[in-house]
Amino acid sequence: MAGIELRNISKVYGNAVLAVDDVSLEIKDGEFMIFLGPSGCGKSTTLRMIGGLESISKGDLLIGGKRMNDVDPADRDIAIVFQNYALYPHMTVAGNLGFGLKLRGFDRAEIDRRIRAISDMLGIQPLLDRKPGQLSGGQRQRVALGRALVREPKAFLLDEPLSNLDAKLRAAMRTELIKLHHKVGTTIVHVTHDQIEAMTMGQRICIMKDGRIVQVGAPLEVYRNPVNTFVAGFLASPPMNLVAGRLEGEGQGTLKAVVGAASLPIPDAFRAAYAARSGSEVIVGLRPEDFHQSPMGDRSSPASVVVVAVELLGPEVILVAELGGTGGPEIMARMPRDFMARPGAMLQLHYDLTQMHLFDAASGTALSRPQLA
Amino acid sequence: MSGIKASAADRRDARFGYVLAAPSLTVLFLIILFPVLSALYTSLHEYTLIAPNFDIFTGFDNFRLALADAEFRHSAWLTIRFVIGVVLLEFVIGFGIALMLNKVERFKPIYYAILLCPLLMNPVIVGLIWRMFLHPNLGIVNYLLSTVGLGPVNWLGDTKIAIWTVIMVDIWHQVSFMIVLLLAGLASLPKEPYEAARVDGANAFQCFIHITLPMMRTVIIVTLLIRLIFAVKTYDLIYIMTRGGPGVATDLVSYFIYRTAFVGLNIGEASAMSIILLTAILGLTAYLYRYMRSIR
Repeated sequence: MAGIELRNISKVYGNAVLAVDDVSLEIKDGEFMIFLGPSGCGKSTTLRMIGGLESISKGDLLIGGKRMNDVDPADRDIAIVFQNYALYPHMTVAGNLGFGLKLRGFDRAEIDRRIRAISDMLGIQPLLDRKPGQLSGGQRQRVALGRALVREPKAFLLDEPLSNLDAKLRAAMRTELIKLHHKVGTTIVHVTHDQIEAMTMGQRICIMKDGRIVQVGAPLEVYRNPVNTFVAGFLASPPMNLVAGRLEGEGQGTLKAVVGAASLPIPDAFRAAYAARSGSEVIVGLRPEDFHQSPMGDRSSPASVVVVAVELLGPEVILVAELGGTGGPEIMARMPRDFMARPGAMLQLHYDLTQMHLFDAASGTALSRPQLA
Repeated sequence: MSGIKASAADRRDARFGYVLAAPSLTVLFLIILFPVLSALYTSLHEYTLIAPNFDIFTGFDNFRLALADAEFRHSAWLTIRFVIGVVLLEFVIGFGIALMLNKVERFKPIYYAILLCPLLMNPVIVGLIWRMFLHPNLGIVNYLLSTVGLGPVNWLGDTKIAIWTVIMVDIWHQVSFMIVLLLAGLASLPKEPYEAARVDGANAFQCFIHITLPMMRTVIIVTLLIRLIFAVKTYDLIYIMTRGGPGVATDLVSYFIYRTAFVGLNIGEASAMSIILLTAILGLTAYLYRYMRSIR
């Protein structure tokens, strides 16, 4: 087992395309780290650089404290699980599991012992004599995982391993991967563009965009304190509502964020942090789950909305509405499952002000304020 | 489908389909099936060119004669060795070049164009060009050899060398066919197993043995079989370059049949030999067809 450290790592393709730009990150020994970001953000490239499948253009990669930039993938003692599993199509499941061990010169008995142990653990014992073409997606996924596990490497690199599975299987495999991490305790780096995977599986999330790291932190920490509008809009589904507004007034009780016809007072705890920006344009971030039907004492502020649409999801209802009245910015709010409203109706909702986020209108960076626990 | 009768519309469609296909089927029957059947008929008769209507039915006599003919057996055996030599050498050279070209990124179309040149040439032209190149006194090959002090080689006149010369020219002509097919196969292989193998610790040679060869198996077998079938029929090169000589050193079976029929005027026996050759090729084709169906 080993930690992984990235020091100012960059990847340039053909002199021109900067795929990864000066990424520094420390992944602790035994940590479950998620690389999250939209397609083309450089997360897979970063993973492939750690694995040794891509050369590193600049910077240093350390695994277990040793510099690994020029070390062959086979000698890094890591295992990779690929998005499309990359099983050897002409070998049986047992052949796939044992190939790496065979190349490393393990003797037959030890290979058999490990294959048996891993296939028991993953429930693929009955499939050992089959070829990948005869397996379902979920079974192939298990074999790919098994092939990584059987080598007992220092770290696992998972490149979107769940994205080819259907929704139900994906949820099941999420849980299994978490359980697996508890059991083996090895460092795992998991690349995904699925924010649910990121929130549920990782001990820490590293959010990337355009080849750079935007924010690193525990899932809830990132959810509660997004550093900019990109992170705010990327995590959670439906994501945070980001609406253009203005910070107005000063002093106690008068500093407020004005969004269209609605105005949301700034809670006392944040007043000191925001007062200096009074009069400037801001982006107001409102989480759909922080709209409530009834007031929450002095923490919330009433906000009238005009219903545009009501989406029934079963466990909950997504209300699409215009904030402050007809023609106001469109927002989404998460309502309980028995919520009902007719499009066009005017409603009074209550927003939890302690959960309001303000971002600089030009740069999209969060205005600094006391962190929310 | 069982138990459900085709509707009137389906039957009408089917009839119309036959009507559409009839003209081309008729032409196919006339120009392909008729000569084959005619050869089969001839092979069972004592056939004389000056009196074609007075042929006598002789059963399998022609086949017996053909199989007993030492020259026919010689050319059949020579053809087998020629085919194996040509196909194996072309495969090894072709696979090597295909592997190299598969890694090339720049100027790929130019390499393709150069490689395809021989394949685009008519075999007769290939034979003529090489006959000039290999002329013992005036050919450029012997001239080049003489510049480095190697004696003149009688490429087509020496009974030991002639067959290898023909094999070499055939390789020059046909190897690009192998390259193109194998390269297409290589290009269509998935990349991921190679990455997995690198992580698993395989070196380039192990990747080739454990990943490339097994994944290319179908392409390799199909390529070999196609080339095999074509090599059995080699005729033009022999006709242009050696006429089967010196002696019978390059007397491949297709050329020998031609000689039997149109030089020896032994039409019945030549027909029997053709039928034997046809059966062998049909067998190979049937195997190829079955193999290609089995891999679906």
